[in-house]
Amino acid sequence: MSEASEETEPASETEFLERYSMRVMTAGVTVAAVLALLVGGWLFPDTIVGTFADVISSENTLSAALRLSVPIAFAALGGIFSEKSGVINIGLEGLLIISAFTAIYVTEVTGGVWIGFGGGVLASTLLALLFAIVTIEFRADQIIAGLAVWLIALGLAPFASQVIYGGPNTPTVPTPGAISVPVLADIPFFGALFSASPSVYLLFVAVGLSWYVFERTTFGRWVRASGENPKALDTAGVSVARVRYAAVLLSGVLAGMGGSALSLDLGQFTGNGPTMVNGKGFIAIVAYLFGNYNPIGAFLSTMLFAGLDAMQTVLQLQGIGIPRQLIRITPFVVVIIVLALVGRTRIPEAAGEHYESGEE
Amino acid sequence: MDTAVHLDGITKRFPGVVANDDVDLAVERGTVHALLGENGAGKTTLMNVLYGLYEPTSGRVLVDGAERRFDSPRDAIDAGIGMIHQHFMLVDPMTVTENITLGNEPTKWGGLAVDRAAARDAVVDLSERYGFDVDPDARIEDVSVGEQQRVEILKALYRGADVLILDEPTAVLTPQEVEELFEVLEELTAQGKTIIFITHKLGEAMRAADEITVLRDGRNVGTVEADGTNREDLAELMVGREVLLDVDRPPAETGDVVAAASNLAVEDDRGVRVVDDVSFDVREGEVFGIAGVDGNGQSELIEALTGLTSPEAGRIEFLGEDITGSSRRQRIESGMAYIPQDRQERGLVMNFDLVENALLGSQHSPELGPNGRIDWPATRDHAESIIEEYDVRPPNPDSTSESLSGGNQQKFIVGREFSREPELVVAAHPTRGVDVGSIEFIHERLLELRKEGVAIVLISSKLEEVQGLSDRLAVMYEGEFIDVVDPAGTTEEELGLLMAGERPDEDAPDQAGQSAAHTESTDAPNGGEHA
Repeated sequence: MSEASEETEPASETEFLERYSMRVMTAGVTVAAVLALLVGGWLFPDTIVGTFADVISSENTLSAALRLSVPIAFAALGGIFSEKSGVINIGLEGLLIISAFTAIYVTEVTGGVWIGFGGGVLASTLLALLFAIVTIEFRADQIIAGLAVWLIALGLAPFASQVIYGGPNTPTVPTPGAISVPVLADIPFFGALFSASPSVYLLFVAVGLSWYVFERTTFGRWVRASGENPKALDTAGVSVARVRYAAVLLSGVLAGMGGSALSLDLGQFTGNGPTMVNGKGFIAIVAYLFGNYNPIGAFLSTMLFAGLDAMQTVLQLQGIGIPRQLIRITPFVVVIIVLALVGRTRIPEAAGEHYESGEE
Repeated sequence: MDTAVHLDGITKRFPGVVANDDVDLAVERGTVHALLGENGAGKTTLMNVLYGLYEPTSGRVLVDGAERRFDSPRDAIDAGIGMIHQHFMLVDPMTVTENITLGNEPTKWGGLAVDRAAARDAVVDLSERYGFDVDPDARIEDVSVGEQQRVEILKALYRGADVLILDEPTAVLTPQEVEELFEVLEELTAQGKTIIFITHKLGEAMRAADEITVLRDGRNVGTVEADGTNREDLAELMVGREVLLDVDRPPAETGDVVAAASNLAVEDDRGVRVVDDVSFDVREGEVFGIAGVDGNGQSELIEALTGLTSPEAGRIEFLGEDITGSSRRQRIESGMAYIPQDRQERGLVMNFDLVENALLGSQHSPELGPNGRIDWPATRDHAESIIEEYDVRPPNPDSTSESLSGGNQQKFIVGREFSREPELVVAAHPTRGVDVGSIEFIHERLLELRKEGVAIVLISSKLEEVQGLSDRLAVMYEGEFIDVVDPAGTTEEELGLLMAGERPDEDAPDQAGQSAAHTESTDAPNGGEHA
């Protein structure tokens, strides 16, 4: 055996490099660019580089990035659960929209922000349940059903708003307000981590918990097995359908938390055009692919994308205009490069495939 | 006798097929029991019944003398039955330990976490106890196939299996790994485990098993002690010798060579050479039969001949032209008809109706598919004429092919292929799973074509069929033609010996002269001289 493992070691090392080189490179390039800007800004504070450095090192940028990350990262966590179990959920966008609207509506009716938050989560979970029934029970195509989820929510939420409030935008409701951790919030720059909306803290917890579930619990293993080789799970005596239902519902819960947080932090749901969600569900898919289905990886890639977006906003204010559209396509360009050219993201073997017990 | 598992009168029907027909099987504790039979004999179905994947149509399953009803593999696992499938049920990116414990993970903190140390210890303990060589921390995708199989066995043992079912366990192993597996099986039975071992390889059943049960066409045709039998008897049991259907076969009037293969070699997906240096030819008005136990390269040979795979080496001629590199379409158009061995997989599109199925293979023909456009009325007429001439029931061109019984599906394919007015018919198991009436009908049609001067290559694992229809008969064993004989002058015993791989020149030294002639004919079988 020792011989065999000696033989496999170099192989797995190169494999490791191959698997992660793109990510390592991206991370390295990002860090290097940021450092270069910071150093450059410190040396020449009055140039455009200086402005960049100011923007990057500003606490506002970090706090904006965190705020922008919340819905995307929650949806990405949900997407990980669903896709790892073998059900590709491209309806995350729809789950965000439905929960964003419902959260505001319930808050407005009951007056309780947290009740509204729960309402949004519930709405998203119910829509995810519908998606689960259609794809698992009735074996509908996951992509088509996922698109349907998006389109249903995209139509339903502004319509409901129109019926209830007479316009695609809802009235404003009180926001939950930021929670500041004493002392820690005063740390320069990183203080932004400790003076944020409750949803940001909730996100930190969700990222950690998701990682724990996948790495340490039986359920996490079953989800992985269900997406890689459902037959292995089935013959081991675990119901694949149940695992997939649980995973898809969980994606509904998580995306619902993201959507509710999105609208409640702003106190309003805006339903014009692509609604206030505006593609965040799709960026979430990109984020978890780029993060290689790892909750922490997905969160970090979300921060990267959101960070770019936040910088762009701040730069705009400083009079240096980078077209917003250009920033917005970054995640998609990145994912195309990662998936197409390098192709090191390991998509679960059985993702997108139906499974029926006893099928030969 | 201490019976671990007893299957009593198991019958399993699928729509249109009887996979198991009143099968009895008793397996003694602490032994290796081989379930021997050809592909499609119902071995795996029977074991899936025992493992709870299928519910039997009738019959009883008894484990340790008590009747049990398994609704799912979970029930079977609880009753101490484990199954190692032909395709491993392993999750590639997970580790050996994670795979073995999947679904039964030891937990701690009230179920909130997998107890990884306990899981690893359990795996190490088990593999030490049975002398297995596995690395508990390796990922499945990084270990050898032999080790993956040991992981599968450990997985069953971890779940407390006393009876282990192994489905074709040697199919994916190298010879060394096969030997290792057999040693593992010995160790397991020594510790009181019971093994049921599905195989279609005689030699392995003889080598590894204490008792052998032979299945044929879904029936148990005999259970024998491995020590008290020999390869020839087993081959005969497997292939069977049902009453030879009377075939009225006038002597062959052979003409020119229609098709010839020389030094053909074919490799399978794994790169193993499954057809090795095979040469033969077939003439007008002649049936050239290829006999052999399934899996000795017949299918691959036929696929190379019909253009479904490309040979690694050698040359194929058809009507005097080299067609080695020509496409399937060219072969069809030049007059090669093919009755595939798996009619549902290759012969028909199951959810298409008969009109659409009648078109298959003729979609480019000037009659049905002129100028890239399909002439549906003509195709319908064509389908109707096949249905009428070949007595396909129900006689409705709009019914889908999956609604037809196996025999009628086959008649439809035979009709479609013969209506191409072929020069050569390649027929692979043309009557497998077909009722007796249709068998007779298909045989008659084949002989009619022969009379019209068509050349026919026939493979069948049914001895009486190839023997009764062929003018010359090649016996294939491990990718080679072991001999080419005159079927009328050869007994079933002699054929059985050949099919079991006994070379004619290895035994009976007093027949050396005759054997030499046989060997020669294998090398250069241009011979009408045998017939």
